[in-house]
Amino acid sequence: MLRLEGIDVRLGEFQLRDVSLHVKAGTYLTLLGSTGTGKTVLLETIAGVHKPTSGRIHIKGLDATRLAPEKRHLGIVYQDYVLFPHLTVLRNIAFGLHLKGTPERKIKGVVEEMADFLEIGHLLKRRPSRLSGGERQRVALARALVMEPYVLLLDEPLSALDRVTRSRIQNELKRIHTQLGVTIVHITHDLAEAFFLADQLAVMKDGRILQNGALEEVCRHPNSRSVAELVGIENLITATVEDNRLVTVMGDVDLARLSAGKDDLPERICLTLPGWSIELFPDGDPQDYVWQGSLSISDVYLMNGSGIVEVTLAHNGGKNLKTYLSRREAKAISANLRIGNTVPVGFLGKGVYWVPQELSL
Amino acid sequence: MKNFKIVISGLSGILVLIIVIPLARMVVSAEPGVLRSTISDPEVIQSILLTLRAALWATLSCILFGVPLAYALARWRFPGKSIVQGIVDLPVMIPHTAAGIALLMVYGREFFLGKAFGLLGISFMGTVPGISLAMAFVSLPFLVNAARDGFLSVDPRLERVARTLGASPWQAFFKVSLALCWRSILSGAIMMWARGIAEFGAVIVLAYHPMIAPVLIWERLENYGLKYASPVAVILILLCLLIFSGLRWLAREQKEV
Repeated sequence: MLRLEGIDVRLGEFQLRDVSLHVKAGTYLTLLGSTGTGKTVLLETIAGVHKPTSGRIHIKGLDATRLAPEKRHLGIVYQDYVLFPHLTVLRNIAFGLHLKGTPERKIKGVVEEMADFLEIGHLLKRRPSRLSGGERQRVALARALVMEPYVLLLDEPLSALDRVTRSRIQNELKRIHTQLGVTIVHITHDLAEAFFLADQLAVMKDGRILQNGALEEVCRHPNSRSVAELVGIENLITATVEDNRLVTVMGDVDLARLSAGKDDLPERICLTLPGWSIELFPDGDPQDYVWQGSLSISDVYLMNGSGIVEVTLAHNGGKNLKTYLSRREAKAISANLRIGNTVPVGFLGKGVYWVPQELSL
Repeated sequence: MKNFKIVISGLSGILVLIIVIPLARMVVSAEPGVLRSTISDPEVIQSILLTLRAALWATLSCILFGVPLAYALARWRFPGKSIVQGIVDLPVMIPHTAAGIALLMVYGREFFLGKAFGLLGISFMGTVPGISLAMAFVSLPFLVNAARDGFLSVDPRLERVARTLGASPWQAFFKVSLALCWRSILSGAIMMWARGIAEFGAVIVLAYHPMIAPVLIWERLENYGLKYASPVAVILILLCLLIFSGLRWLAREQKEV
């Protein structure tokens, strides 16, 4: 549906460099990256607002690189909705249909149907200034969706919403994707949002796409330290490969039990350990662990509302690691779960992966 | 808080009085008999109508060129943009008689532009087009700057969204940007028209005749004294007050429904 090939864009000091991406029809792609990394510029380049200095954009198999925005058949929804303030909700949603010369009766039908779908039928006569954030976001979605775009481009559509509304609109996006089957490119810096919605994940930093693939693949096997950090892997341990051993500040890690990619290891690597791969009081098969030892508890924190307990473990070599327990798990070891206590810890081999240190900037 | 309000109100009031007192004094001191005869004086009426008309033409033609310039200044990045902005502001800074002389040197009969317009049958010396030209030259910054600020107040992403919804650049301009900032443009046009009506220095260099109201006031002051000059000014002031109050009312922000 959408294919970007080696896109370069220069906007003053900022540059998008060699961006390639392939989004199949019906996919929900989330573009993850921190603020200022060029996600919006990329989205606007896809929409035709910025012209690439090199590379090609294909939409539905056709070369759209030089095509004007109005001819690309894409819909865009911004973080702060960008509704036309001088038009009612009805006129906002019908804006594109009017331009297309759709008969008034048909416009009314299409707009009402979409308004019902997004539960904003009662707002049609209002001006945008009289709507709440969530209502505005639904109107912005309706305005884009009535045009039946090939791809719906969402620029951090949930960032400006309160927690309750965000969760509601998040579900709404999932429903839109499932029921209308529209291809979506959604940019965000919120990891939870990406995990909830995406089936494809692209990670971006400094104007480049660092990794792109199926959500699970990118999260399990990040290709660089930056990707690992952006997909929420908080525990990173530098290691060197010496005589078939992995030497770290915490001692040797069992190379043979590493889950993947142990044949072509470079000399200097960075081990990635998701929180779930760090077990307190490891009681499984010893063969499952790539490292076992003792670490002291430096912090215990009950995360508000989620019922998850975050435990920070410190190694005397200066390394801090984080793992997460359910309240039930925490209760089972509550006597030992005190700051300053030293506890046995194991790293599950199936969770530990590595990225080359050369790319770890 | 109370002191704050008193100080702000006091300072604002002083400024308003500085404007109002001379004008009020002029209106009050006009002799009713002279005022009546001035109102029925065809020369005065023609002069005032000419002033309003010439300034209106100047404003309308500057809307045609000034709004696109304001849009470019607000939306586009281009080399020399700050120089262009400075050039737009220049007519406010230079003495208006100097502006008149500059116009005379370009649109007079000695320069090719003046000659070219002459071939088209348009002369700027002692004509209404000359008056409008002088008025336009000195007052266009009011329109361009107000329109530019208006465009700047419209989020450019509104146009981008409109484009993705199928609007051409023209449609996005008219249906979104212009639709949202027409009040700023109207406000700038009112200011430009008003400034054009008041123009004296640049106009007399190009066209002493036909006589616009400021020139007529000057001539009557020179030839007959204050008694016969001030009634013309009073009529012009009252008429302008009426027109501009009406236009300001039109340009006011509507309360949202």
